[in-house]
Amino acid sequence: MGMEREQCSYESLDESFEIGKEMYRGQQYSQIYFARLHLMRTLLYSLVSHWKPNSPVCTVLGLEEDKECVIVGTLYKNMKLKPCILDEYSKERSVVPLVKPHNFVHQDDYLVLEDESGRVKLGGNLIVPSVFVTGIVVAIHGKETGAGDFLVLDVLEAGLPPQIEFPIKSREDRYVVLVSGLSVGSSRSNPLQFQLLVDHITGHLGDEKEQSIASQIVHVVIAGNSVDIPRGLLNGQNLASKDLSRMAEPIKELDILLNQIAAGLPLDIMPGPSDPANFSLPQQALHRCLFPGSSVYNTFRSCTNPHCFELDNIRFLGTSGQNVDDLEKYSEAKDKLDFMERTLRWRHLAPTAPNTLGCYPYTDRDPFFIESCPHVYFVGNQDKYDTRVIKGSEGQSVRLVCVPKFSETGVAVMLNLRDLECHALSFGTQFSP
Amino acid sequence: MNKNTSRKRAAAAPAPPQQPPTKQALSQEDEFLDEDVFLDETLISEDEESAILRDIEQRQALATRLSKWTRPPLSQDYISQSRSILFQQLEIDYVIGESHKELLPNSSGPAAIIRIFGVTKEGHSVCCKVHGFEPYFYISCPPGMGPDDISHFHQILEARMREANRNSNVGKFVRRIEMVQRRSIMYYQQINSHPFLKIVVALPTMVASCRGILDRGIQLDGLGMKNFMTYESNVLFALRFMIDCNIVGGNWIEIPAGKYKKTTKSLSYCQLEFDCLYSDLISHAPEGEYSKMAPFRILSFDIECAGRKGHFPEPTHDPVIQIANLVTLQGEGQPLIRNVMTLKSCSPIVGVDVMSFDTEREVLLAWRDFIREVDPDIIIGYNICKFDLPYLIERAAALKIAEFPILGRIRNSRVRVKDTTFSSRQYGTRESKEVTVEGRVQFDLLQVMQRDYKLSSYSLNSVSAHFLSEQKEDVHHSIISDLQNGNAETRRRLAVYCLKDAYLPQRLLDKLMFVYNYVEMARVTGVPISFLLSRGQSIKVLSQLLRKAKQKNLVIPNAKQAGSEQGTFEGATVLEAKAGFYEKPIATLDFASLYPSIMMAYNLCYCTLVTPENARKLNIPPESVNRTPSGETFVKPNLQKGILPEILEELLAARKRAKADLKEAKDPLEKAVLDGRQLALKISANSVYGFTGATIGQLPCLEISSSVTSYGRQMIEHTKKLVEDKFTTLNGYQHTAEVIYGDTDSVMVQFGVSAVEEAMSLGREAAEYISGTFTKPIKLEFEKIYYPYLLISKKRYAGLFWTKPDNFDKMDTKGIETVRRDNCLLVKNLVNDCLHKILIDRDIPGAVQYVKNAISDLLMNRMDLSLLVITKGLTKTGDDYEVKTAHVELAERMRKRDAATAPNVGDRVPYVIIKAAKGAKAYEKSEDPIYVLENNIPIDPQYYLENQISKPILRIFEPILKNASKELLHGSHTRSISISTPSNSGIMRFAQKQYTCIGCKALLSKGDRTLCAHCKGREAELYCKTVAQVSDLEILFGRLWTQCQECQGSLHQDVLCTSRDCPIFYRRKKAQKDMAEARLQLDRWNF
Repeated sequence: MGMEREQCSYESLDESFEIGKEMYRGQQYSQIYFARLHLMRTLLYSLVSHWKPNSPVCTVLGLEEDKECVIVGTLYKNMKLKPCILDEYSKERSVVPLVKPHNFVHQDDYLVLEDESGRVKLGGNLIVPSVFVTGIVVAIHGKETGAGDFLVLDVLEAGLPPQIEFPIKSREDRYVVLVSGLSVGSSRSNPLQFQLLVDHITGHLGDEKEQSIASQIVHVVIAGNSVDIPRGLLNGQNLASKDLSRMAEPIKELDILLNQIAAGLPLDIMPGPSDPANFSLPQQALHRCLFPGSSVYNTFRSCTNPHCFELDNIRFLGTSGQNVDDLEKYSEAKDKLDFMERTLRWRHLAPTAPNTLGCYPYTDRDPFFIESCPHVYFVGNQDKYDTRVIKGSEGQSVRLVCVPKFSETGVAVMLNLRDLECHALSFGTQFSP
Repeated sequence: MNKNTSRKRAAAAPAPPQQPPTKQALSQEDEFLDEDVFLDETLISEDEESAILRDIEQRQALATRLSKWTRPPLSQDYISQSRSILFQQLEIDYVIGESHKELLPNSSGPAAIIRIFGVTKEGHSVCCKVHGFEPYFYISCPPGMGPDDISHFHQILEARMREANRNSNVGKFVRRIEMVQRRSIMYYQQINSHPFLKIVVALPTMVASCRGILDRGIQLDGLGMKNFMTYESNVLFALRFMIDCNIVGGNWIEIPAGKYKKTTKSLSYCQLEFDCLYSDLISHAPEGEYSKMAPFRILSFDIECAGRKGHFPEPTHDPVIQIANLVTLQGEGQPLIRNVMTLKSCSPIVGVDVMSFDTEREVLLAWRDFIREVDPDIIIGYNICKFDLPYLIERAAALKIAEFPILGRIRNSRVRVKDTTFSSRQYGTRESKEVTVEGRVQFDLLQVMQRDYKLSSYSLNSVSAHFLSEQKEDVHHSIISDLQNGNAETRRRLAVYCLKDAYLPQRLLDKLMFVYNYVEMARVTGVPISFLLSRGQSIKVLSQLLRKAKQKNLVIPNAKQAGSEQGTFEGATVLEAKAGFYEKPIATLDFASLYPSIMMAYNLCYCTLVTPENARKLNIPPESVNRTPSGETFVKPNLQKGILPEILEELLAARKRAKADLKEAKDPLEKAVLDGRQLALKISANSVYGFTGATIGQLPCLEISSSVTSYGRQMIEHTKKLVEDKFTTLNGYQHTAEVIYGDTDSVMVQFGVSAVEEAMSLGREAAEYISGTFTKPIKLEFEKIYYPYLLISKKRYAGLFWTKPDNFDKMDTKGIETVRRDNCLLVKNLVNDCLHKILIDRDIPGAVQYVKNAISDLLMNRMDLSLLVITKGLTKTGDDYEVKTAHVELAERMRKRDAATAPNVGDRVPYVIIKAAKGAKAYEKSEDPIYVLENNIPIDPQYYLENQISKPILRIFEPILKNASKELLHGSHTRSISISTPSNSGIMRFAQKQYTCIGCKALLSKGDRTLCAHCKGREAELYCKTVAQVSDLEILFGRLWTQCQECQGSLHQDVLCTSRDCPIFYRRKKAQKDMAEARLQLDRWNF
């Protein structure tokens, strides 16, 4: 029997995340903040005239006591519990690392607004430190008090970026599969479960109905942490060659499985924190030499993290999860989708980079600035599947997706390109009574 | 002390204007005065008129800016003098002036006028001028001298004095001589008093000159040439005054309404300036309401100078470019004033008043005006006494700004710089500069730190890292000039830095409670606060001794000569340490305040000591004396109660009270006062013994000090014997106790039980039992258990410290390399971590493995370079050192490389030991860590292994491990060695660079850039390895550089800090370099 697999157009938009000629030449992190502030400030200034038409716009230095005004700057959150590399040298240092708390928010945290001219402490009850993090650029309306603080009267975030129009031509169901946290090689991963996923995608599973759904899958995105490399082996000591080859085993296994998918349909693989890739964002594409089998297919695409692409003019933006995980450590929200929504409203994919999230020290730009609003925004390696649609003030509509760790939940996400509806695709290898 | 003659002052100062009634008028008046002086001294050409106009505008603006910071205005009852004046005094000195005609109608001519500076509780500054107190001293009256002879003696002395002070215009040198009944404090005497002559002289300086005459001897009719022993002739005049009026340092003084007269021509800038008689002063004991602190104004400041490249700033050449000031009211959490004065424009800083000036002259004068308006009571800073203050004054002198150094509270009195040496047995000899700012206390935090704490480095950075757990940004002085020469923004950067340096001393002051502790110390010992920093320990004991002696009608001989014989005596005893690792609880029995208790128990004092001669002469019953183990005889209290024991009893009783009150106290400020007091009392009690043993001190008496130590030795031995006799299985105890070590005032006992609780109860039992055998108040206390306990040798041990049975309190170490300056951080960390593993984790194999790993890391060149940096202070230049030393040689070499950044005298030189040619001298192997990083120079792991790590590590492990040296230092982990190839060495310049295979290091043929043919199949695994390295470095890079941004307090500006004291400085540099290299390696995969 033959069933034709559906197809759609694909365009990669990863270019801005690729580190090409950039080099480590002793540059520091001030420049990326500077670039971010300039980008965002131009934007925020254009909004301020509608927001507070009667308030003058000042710099931090231009503040005068009791004069109401608007200032635009980068937030810095002073955190009592923030871990610090200097602790390694402190008097009470101990060899045994203390149990790291999951979240470093403390009630004494406070916010400071900084521009290139100076910083001022923000006061008042209007701005809640637990919601914000270091690195966001906002406009603040308020006045300087006698104590030298800036009393916040109102806060303006950049809001959702403009969105390209959603193509209405779609008539039939076409699916994109989002999966993350395959963790091949980890003790938690179940090879059979992954095989079921592969078989389902490639249409080797189930009855005709299921196969017909499978034939409507047009694209697979693997959002990070595909392998789990025994890093314990890499402790700086010289490695025996047998250990070295053990290290590469999970990758070989992954290559075999990806081979099966790539033979059938287009596949994007993004690096994540546990993959053999660099650490800092943007993580560069996994090297093709790691996938001698799959990389021969032109359907196999090794991509950056963050990853941005368009399928039939529907724009996707996603990360392997680091941006949201870091926000969760340094701020608070009701769920992960909230964090995702905030990054869009702040127009910045990873505001905590470079402060607490490693990132490349860019000198002239900030690739994490979100210029155009995606239709689908996903983050990988989350604890559970979750999704929601948010709307912007200018009619933007964004599908937010938390892609769970497959190795722990057995869940992948199916997203219908027709209406951006989502559902979980769950694989179990145990029979439940 | 200041000794200005009134005539001099009159000449220097035109009549100062009357204190104007309102504040506004005040600033204007002063403005005119300043302009006058200004115009007098500088000629301004006409074409500069516009500049002057602008200048005046600016100055007026400045004046209004400054005037908002003046002290609160006086209330009506102060102005009308209808209320008594109550104030806390901080500084007492004296000047010579004309005798006050109204207060002292019967005297005339020059006299000493005591000036007391202080603050009322409303925050008004006070200058109280006290009249009528006269300098005096005693001599013992020669036998047979009657009242007639005294007047004759007076005439002779007067004549001799006139001869010695020919160019003095004093009418009468020796005012009067009175016969009084006193007794010398020295030696036990059976007669209660003798006639003494109290000689009152006209001026304080005459005491010394008169003493000299009497020492050398004078010709007396009928008695022939006679020389006299003087008594209390070496007491500083201000202290004499305080003692006689019962004033202690920092207490509250009251002058009732009607008893003081407002000065008609005010000579000071104080709000309340008045004259009174010394007999009208009411001195309040620091208790209850009077233990509080007045709201003093504390100024913390820091200056920046633009040095020339390669030179430390010198006032003759280098301008002062910024002065940052912070004024805090005592007891307030936030500073009242924050400002910075800059040379040339400077962008604003939030919350800080930035004042910019076009000329250095204006900066300096603005600071002077600021000091005068703000009128600080205490001036603090870091190294201000040796650097900032003298620099400002010498700089003003170099610029010929004669009107600058009027910084004190006395109008038109110039501040001078004097070179002084301060020498003390406890603190050693220090050269320093003394800048007297009249009426203001200087409190240099650097001096305090050096005095009160033993630290490995006293740089502001390491001190704040130590006490505030913060790294301080450090801008190298070669960068300071660049920042100054930039624009308003770069100068702002510098100003922010300067402000931080001004803020840190204030934070240290608050954190370490210095104001409370030092004021309490002054109150307890009775000396002015300024003495505490400028003088040694002995003045504090002397002050207490004099006060006590005065109550008892005793006088203290000026025994400088008497004590000069260089006696030595046996010190404290140390029981032999039975080295080992004790895994059973060790109880520690401590003698509480051992030396003070001994002095009290055996009534040891100057006045109870019986000389051998007296012992024969006087018939003292043997039951009334104690013979000390060192062979001295002291009478028991029933015959004569000692003064020292009495002082000690009072101190210890007061401490007990303070501690009890401390428990009750709720108010944090009150707690701070009480805690400061109990600490001061403890220190004072312990310093009494040292006073008697100080051979170059004020009143040494080795008989006392050697007796004290001999009793101490006896007690330790006695305790050991009793413990080992009583706690035996023979006496029904489960185990036989063993004393494993004993030091000055403590004995360590292993009772043999394995539960902490049991050991505690045995410890308590032993303490109680043994205490019963001692004379009161000597008491043995059980305080703590060490468990486990690692005893290395005498004065070297480590253990977990338990005071409650369920959990240990902390890890306690003594004498183990954790703070020594000439060790690198690696040693400290290694020792700490090993002790942690051994004592807390009880994991000896883990500790061994840890050491092995560290040694292997060292040999494999994987060690974080910052852990290997050794730092030494450069005190003189290379030529002055007799022996060649590593850091001096390095400083010379660095100067040849780049004079701008090379360390100067006074800087600390960090270095690492590098691998050098065989046979190179140790001092030739030092190198600048930055240079090492940049050029990939191999360090010498063998040096670190042998000269740094091995001794301290072996010391710890020897009691625990057999063959420690073989196991730790020569095991298999020491076999592989990796040495980096220097990128600048001679041979490398001729080497051709060729790619080697990443997998097997085989040389690659042309065309291949990554792997050899053999390794081609292992691409995935080899790539994983390379990328993992990059990933690790990226993590480190991010953490290090963001930390520096954090310290710097700005995200948008580049990190400039070059603090070599900061542990992550070298790591940050190395991460930057390694990152670039690792990326290059990774790029080789892009085939």
